Amino acid sequence: MANKNRLSIAILILFVSFFYFCAEKQHGNIKKNILKIGTTRGGFKSASLLGDTFLALFARISNPPLMTMAKDGKLEGLVTARHEVSEDCTKWKFYFDPDLFWSDGTKVTAEDAKFSIKLLAEVVPHARWLHEIINEVYIDEDNALVFELERPYSRLDFDLTTYNILPKHIWKTIEDPLRHTSNDEMVGCGPFVIEKIDLNAGLIRFRKNPYWKGFQPELDGIELHLYNNNDVLAFALERGKVDTYYRYASSYPYPNIERLKATDEFDFLEEPHYGLRFLGFNLNKKPMSDNHFRKAISYAIDYEEIIKLDILGYGEIPSRGFIPPIMPAYKETEELEYDLEKAKCLLAEAGYIDRNGDGFRETPDARKMKLLILISMDYVRLAELVQDYLEAAGIDAQLKTVDYNTWISMKDRNNYDLVVSRTSPWGMFMHASWATGYFDARRTGEGVLHNVDDPNFLKLCDDILSTKDEEKLIEYASHVQDYYARFLPAVALYWSRTVIPYQKRFSGWSPNPLFGLYNIQNFLNLQIRGQDTLSFN
Amino acid sequence: MFVSKKKVLRYFIALFIIFTLNFIIPRAMPGDPITNLLGENFIASETMIQELKIELGLNKSLPAQYLDYWKDIFTLRFGYSYHFNQKVISLIYMRMKWTLALLFPSILLGAIVGTLLGALSGWKKNNMPNKATTWVFLATYSSPPYFLGIIFLYIFSFKWGLLPFKGFYETGTLLDVIQHLFLPILIMSAFTASRNYMIMRGSVLIEKEKLYVVYAHAKGLYGNSILFRHIFKNASLPVFTLIALDFGFLLSGALFVEIVFSMNGMGTLIYEALLSRDYPVLQGCFLIITIMVIAANFIADILYSIIDPRVREKT
Repeated sequence: MANKNRLSIAILILFVSFFYFCAEKQHGNIKKNILKIGTTRGGFKSASLLGDTFLALFARISNPPLMTMAKDGKLEGLVTARHEVSEDCTKWKFYFDPDLFWSDGTKVTAEDAKFSIKLLAEVVPHARWLHEIINEVYIDEDNALVFELERPYSRLDFDLTTYNILPKHIWKTIEDPLRHTSNDEMVGCGPFVIEKIDLNAGLIRFRKNPYWKGFQPELDGIELHLYNNNDVLAFALERGKVDTYYRYASSYPYPNIERLKATDEFDFLEEPHYGLRFLGFNLNKKPMSDNHFRKAISYAIDYEEIIKLDILGYGEIPSRGFIPPIMPAYKETEELEYDLEKAKCLLAEAGYIDRNGDGFRETPDARKMKLLILISMDYVRLAELVQDYLEAAGIDAQLKTVDYNTWISMKDRNNYDLVVSRTSPWGMFMHASWATGYFDARRTGEGVLHNVDDPNFLKLCDDILSTKDEEKLIEYASHVQDYYARFLPAVALYWSRTVIPYQKRFSGWSPNPLFGLYNIQNFLNLQIRGQDTLSFN
Repeated sequence: MFVSKKKVLRYFIALFIIFTLNFIIPRAMPGDPITNLLGENFIASETMIQELKIELGLNKSLPAQYLDYWKDIFTLRFGYSYHFNQKVISLIYMRMKWTLALLFPSILLGAIVGTLLGALSGWKKNNMPNKATTWVFLATYSSPPYFLGIIFLYIFSFKWGLLPFKGFYETGTLLDVIQHLFLPILIMSAFTASRNYMIMRGSVLIEKEKLYVVYAHAKGLYGNSILFRHIFKNASLPVFTLIALDFGFLLSGALFVEIVFSMNGMGTLIYEALLSRDYPVLQGCFLIITIMVIAANFIADILYSIIDPRVREKT
């Protein structure tokens, strides 16, 4: 008995000492002016700068692309000082910032950019399309990087916001660049460079680039803390383990906002979102190819309820023109409206009537109609609401929930009637901008519908792709939005606002339209209250 | 001979069938490994897609791919991951070592605690403490691991601030690693212990009704000495099978713990490879798990025949 007691006491002492030490360590964590960003790991697979799209996104502050999008949506040089394009949009010229240095002290040159673009187009699968459009890349007598294109293409400056520039003197010696992974310091030319990647610790650390000649940031470094799920990330944020939240094209989860507000330790960035959620139609199939049918469906959806239930009121009812007001050259079109009686009336007028009395409508040629709503796992709640609205209008629809890979595959094979999906901020600008990249039937890709093959629409896209004339672009943008409003290739379900919490000691946030707060300008602008050594917790 | 030739042959047949299934199942899933490589902004020509297929070896017919698969197994070449951009073998090694650091203590603790308490529970009278223990283990056994993980993390890390939120380590020192693994191991041990407890309890309840126990009583033995000298050995046989099976179960079961504690282990590797249809990674992971489970069962078979002479005689 005495031995048993002694053992129990020893175990108890061991546990108490262990927890005491843990508590000490947790509270004694002193850091300098480091911004800790909490993000979810989803999609982050390896420390390969070329092979991992997520690392490439985060590395944009260490290996910036040639171009960036400013807060106001204008494209401007990042590695380049300025650029120009020929009138027919077939020749682009990029002049380099003379004050840019790699973190090992070497000067950044046009040669680095030329090498990077060629390398990317050669080895990275999603950049291979560059081969098809770029005829030649060379450095001219002005020491500028020149792109000669196969056909007029006005969006090259936009596309170059995503391809990171690499130091040629380092990467030319790497045998298999796509599969090259490195967990240690990487040479970069941004204000911060990657110091360490440790996926087992869930950490990517950036430090200041000692050769950065531009505006000096107040931050000493940036840490990305990777969490596998949002719930734990929310705990970590509230506990002060991270200073802010970032997830590409996403808001901080709306249900957690109030809880965070109650702590009084956070301020919130609340901005209109460039991306949106939508109901897409398979225009290759009946009855979705019938414009009357699509119009009727647009009246069957209770937008206000969706906003209340899916995003807790952080959004507004969209218009038929699809594009949110925050986009450049936005055109006001008729607001989408919930009117169930009108929806029923329009369906009946178009010949969609319940002939056999089973509660669901048949097609005008009296065939049974059961629509398949194809969704990936992120949209279940939203799709269930849409399914209910369709049912209320007498349309039988079933949900098919699959993983994202299957969703893409089924969508590309036209194995669906309707989809509930989203557009990303970057996607809204891709191709001929104004969401055309999601609808142009000549395209393919992860989230795009490529459901519009109307020659008028395709010509509109080509017109946009072949001009840089501001006035013309505004006119085309207006036509695109009119086209969406008239033909409804998809119905926007809401225009949301993104809400990003951050610790109150940081100020001066400047998110950009494409990548939100994760952009160089933002990190250069950030100011910190009480800049001395700070203790978290 | 602890294991018969017939049994060894059975193991090889099982290996062949499972390896073949490892090849078929990922390819039978809808979707395409190339899809995730292309991104959103892509105007894909057929030539370009074909080029990618050639690079990944996906242009070959399925029988040709199957032959290559077996060649790779025999030459121990696991290939490159489509999405992780690493050699599959080094990827699995990186993940496996941490998952095993999580698994071994969990299986060991779960086995010791579960079998001991289960044996005592089955042996002793059905009093209040006994009922309470059974109730606690039953509740643990019935709780979803994710839920239990979040509750523990909420209490220990969020509320009390005693333990870290994520990862296998922060600084990499031994104490730091222990700190990070403490909660995940606690949760996984609780699960394995609860299963072992239930099995052992049931087993002891059956064994204690047998005649050799009455004989042991008649011989003058009493109390725990009957349990630990005679019953424990006989009752523990099903637990060995369960521990052998745990290797496979926990590798996948660890996924939930890895999600809660943001760990980069085998569970998330398999999950991510499944989502992106990364055939080489899936094949590599399933292969390793198959070998581990079969090896564990093989060892369990040997232990069976050592512990129980009746089994030895049959083989």
